[in-house]
Amino acid sequence: MGAQTHPTPTRVAARPLPIRRQAAFVAANSLLVLFATLALYPLFMMVLNSFKSDSEILSNPSGLPVEWTLASYRAIFQYHGGLWLNFVNSVIVSSTSTICATFLAAMAAFAFAKYQFRGRDLIFTLLLATMMVPGEITVPPLYILFAKLHWLNTYQGLIVPTVTSVFGLFMMRQYMYSIPTALLEAARIDGASHWQLFWRIMLPTSAPVLGAFAILHFMGVWNSYLWPLVVTTEQRIQPIMVVLPNLTDPVIGFMPVWSTIMAGCVLATLPVVLVFVAFQDRFMSGVVVGAVKG
Amino acid sequence: MHARKVMRTAQRSAPPRKRGIRWGDVIAPYLFISPFIVSFLALFVGPAAYSLVLSFFRYKGYGAATFVGLANYKAILGYHVFWTELGNTIFYWLGHVFILMVCSFLLAVLVRSKLIVWKSFFKPILFLPNILATVATALVFQSLFGTQYGVINNLLGTHIPWLQDMGLARWVVVVLLIWHGIGWWFVIFLAGLTTISPEVEEAALVDGASAWQRLRFVTLPLMRNTFLFAFVIDAINSFRIFNQPNVLVSRAGSMAPTEMAPLLNLLLGELQSARFGPSAAVGWILFVMVAVVSFIQFRMARGTQPEEVE
Repeated sequence: MGAQTHPTPTRVAARPLPIRRQAAFVAANSLLVLFATLALYPLFMMVLNSFKSDSEILSNPSGLPVEWTLASYRAIFQYHGGLWLNFVNSVIVSSTSTICATFLAAMAAFAFAKYQFRGRDLIFTLLLATMMVPGEITVPPLYILFAKLHWLNTYQGLIVPTVTSVFGLFMMRQYMYSIPTALLEAARIDGASHWQLFWRIMLPTSAPVLGAFAILHFMGVWNSYLWPLVVTTEQRIQPIMVVLPNLTDPVIGFMPVWSTIMAGCVLATLPVVLVFVAFQDRFMSGVVVGAVKG
Repeated sequence: MHARKVMRTAQRSAPPRKRGIRWGDVIAPYLFISPFIVSFLALFVGPAAYSLVLSFFRYKGYGAATFVGLANYKAILGYHVFWTELGNTIFYWLGHVFILMVCSFLLAVLVRSKLIVWKSFFKPILFLPNILATVATALVFQSLFGTQYGVINNLLGTHIPWLQDMGLARWVVVVLLIWHGIGWWFVIFLAGLTTISPEVEEAALVDGASAWQRLRFVTLPLMRNTFLFAFVIDAINSFRIFNQPNVLVSRAGSMAPTEMAPLLNLLLGELQSARFGPSAAVGWILFVMVAVVSFIQFRMARGTQPEEVE
């Protein structure tokens, strides 16, 4: 139906026949529906299986729940003294890290975008070059350092290594660069201090990029696994991601309890999905920054 | 803490209305970048340098460190485990990258074309898998691909040991990587396509180019940099793969067996047995490989004709 609504270019009268166009239309849309289904199916199963009892999940892994139950969600909150603590840990770590990282990167990005100073381009290029270095390189030294500081199994041990983001700096600088300098000069003439330029003008006008970065960063920290695995050994301090794969039957101790794990996965992905649904455009524009021009 | 100190300093140093040698103006940018730079030096550059030094020493975390030259590197290159895990990492990379890029690009072209009706509906759905934690998605895939009680075997009525046969499990990792990554590159390619000015495509259309010719000779060459970016970043991320293979076959949080473990498992394993020197050396070997692979890709991109993209 949609095919005819588009204006046909003048000189192509002899080219794609309406039938061919319609076939292409059907094929293209079916392909997209197929990919969308494949994208959603595992999530759909995750949600469905979280509402089954642990015995039903074994007899009926792929169908709709015969008996809808919230037992797995109750189990989550009772498991090993309550996994809610681990959710709280994830929230504390991710939000603290996001606030610090956004703030540090925004200040630096402001200077790189709007000031002329000696060494600016050199420092910026060097910072960008470090993006090539895999962050895992710093895991052994940070582990030694944090062990000496008694930061293993602490919030600061989880948070501190995540507060500098060169990607964020780059993303914010790109955006702030496009904000008219005249705005700042006018405020300067009115007697605004450098700090006021940043706090009163730059931060509010760059809200979209700050939001995009904050979302991506929050998600990155919330989803991180390797570093929390290294730096925490006690369940009371671990973020939910580290605990999730360990949810085994308390009695047998080795078999995973799938309904509880699925409920945990639903709860662990839910905050990010909600944020995504609310801010999807900002989310996806954050992804693109630097990719197309860079 | 740092930030607050700078706030006050910046306020104080901001010049009042009178003009003079405005030192405030000179140091203001440095004050703005210093919290970031100091943290970055302390948390990344310093540790990275220390890690390089560490890779030439034997150090158990206490007592004195002994200089051992290249012994750590030699030892690691002599491990069977190293070569197996390197092979696995490269398998995960090459196994997924081409299918991933072709699918994402194809989807981006489709969504950009006039053929698709609900563009704003498909876009977030295709992107959705990407925002989910790799740990959670790997667990979901573990339950999908279970032998006895897995969803897929249940649907097919089979008992394929997807995750018990390590050869098959490696492919499940590849499937997971493709499923998880499509949305990201789809959005990037879509953004790349929107930068191509409509006039270029219209000109090709007026000249009678078919859809395939337009894609092949107009769109692909113009997307060259986006593709280069995509392949380089994907390679870098692939060498750092850790979560998917480990969580996919994990039982009670144990790591993946060597047959399907990625290279980072060696770094972690050495670290957990307090062999910090070799652990750091694995990190630097990883870095060298990332650098070499990126360099080769840049050279290939430069060496090809403008219309050839990968």
